[in-house]
Amino acid sequence: MDNSLLVSLSQQLAAYRSMDVIANNLANVSTPGFKRESAKFEEYVTHVAPSEGQTGQQSVSFVKDAGVARDISQGSIETTGAPLDLAINGKGFFTVQTPNGMRYTRDGHFTLDANGQIVTSEGYALQGDSGAITITPDDQNIQIGRDGTISSIVNGIGNQIGKLQVSAFADDSALTKQGDNLYSTTQTPTVAADSTIKQGALESSNVQPVLEISHMIEVMRAYQATASLSQSQEDLTRQAIDKLGAMPN
Amino acid sequence: MRALSIASTGMLAQQTNVEVIANNLANMNTTGFKEQRAEFTDLLYQNVETPGSQTSSQGTYAPAGIQIGTGVKTGATYRITTQGDLTSTSNPYDVAVQGSGYFRIQQADGTDGYTRAGNFALSPQGQLVTQDGNVVQPGIAIPANTVSVTINAQGQVNATVAGNATPQTVGQLELDRFPNEAGLNAIGGNIFLETPASGSPQAGVPGSPGYGTIQQGFLETSNVNSVDEITALITAQRAYEMNSKVITAADQMLQQTSQMAQ
Repeated sequence: MDNSLLVSLSQQLAAYRSMDVIANNLANVSTPGFKRESAKFEEYVTHVAPSEGQTGQQSVSFVKDAGVARDISQGSIETTGAPLDLAINGKGFFTVQTPNGMRYTRDGHFTLDANGQIVTSEGYALQGDSGAITITPDDQNIQIGRDGTISSIVNGIGNQIGKLQVSAFADDSALTKQGDNLYSTTQTPTVAADSTIKQGALESSNVQPVLEISHMIEVMRAYQATASLSQSQEDLTRQAIDKLGAMPN
Repeated sequence: MRALSIASTGMLAQQTNVEVIANNLANMNTTGFKEQRAEFTDLLYQNVETPGSQTSSQGTYAPAGIQIGTGVKTGATYRITTQGDLTSTSNPYDVAVQGSGYFRIQQADGTDGYTRAGNFALSPQGQLVTQDGNVVQPGIAIPANTVSVTINAQGQVNATVAGNATPQTVGQLELDRFPNEAGLNAIGGNIFLETPASGSPQAGVPGSPGYGTIQQGFLETSNVNSVDEITALITAQRAYEMNSKVITAADQMLQQTSQMAQ
């Protein structure tokens, strides 16, 4: 079988994969805390028998998926005005308790549930120093400081409620995405230093539309080029069959 | 080719976004309206290669893995319950809540509803009712021969009756507050209903700790900020457009594929 067709096929599969990743980035252009991803590929070298008239081993390179790299750069901070919208400036993740264990998120949109606990939009409890954080209706004027300290005013007197648990990890790119803006990991979290919390704001997605659209065009063109390569390869084979197989008169 | 379906989830999400913005703008002049915002979350990921999976028996690991996303969905449309501006109307039955709390009203079916819209009026029986005729709870009846009505910051309703210089107290407005205001169910007509997410209402006297105060002759305007909404609208429209471009690109790739086999 012609290796060139198989090499083209591997490139076309890679282009499909890139397109899927770009589509997911653009679909999440307004998802708070979303981190853009890009597909990475590597060369896969295989050795083939020498062709007619050549000696020694010959190698053919295929394209192979190597991984999806996550760009963990900071997204821009957008003011919303809601008192329980929080943005992390710097490293770290909010810690939330889900039925499947602890999960981590950069999406800082929280609300209160019927029991006054601070929860995500799926109802998972945001974790503070000592577990879930409960706000009673008597807590007025809730303030969340730059270091994550939550305080309020009860009957005109200041009241400290708790401190947010902002988790940092040795290797952010090894976190597994779970959907619902959540990440899971087997790494042990540490307390994030140097990061600050901003109340009344959300971190927007760090997807840059211009970059994604230009990547998309690039992928599309590469795909077209490979497709025309396969086409010419096929033309060549057809000609060979026509010419060499022609019945001599 | 997942790109097609991924981009369509993106377009659907932006469509929801535009609908929420349109509703905010449509209610710019609705008394007591609270703006809503759509919040998005990413969909499940398909693990082609799990991050941290072993790549050799020598203990080397894939640093990132291959996780392909499947798009976006609307996580919630939540209400931003900040205070709206108060505008003066000089109508004695217009009352605004400054601070937290909702007026409790009795709906036609006898169940309780809650509202921030204090543009009340009198029923033929002299009862304080909303514009839809729902009775404000606890029921307050204004005597027929009343000359003037004053409602103080604590919600006490005093009426001066013809032939009597001393005002008499005819009722007391109450406010209800919820552990989670954002969890209330909006049913239209400026009315909200209690849900399991909002928690149970706690009634109290206006002005007591944790409850807002009453301003007579004022109405709370909608808290929609038109500049914010228009900016959000532009962003949503562009995002919609970009997702449609992905569909076009994916379609061209598929077209190319089908042309290969000729």
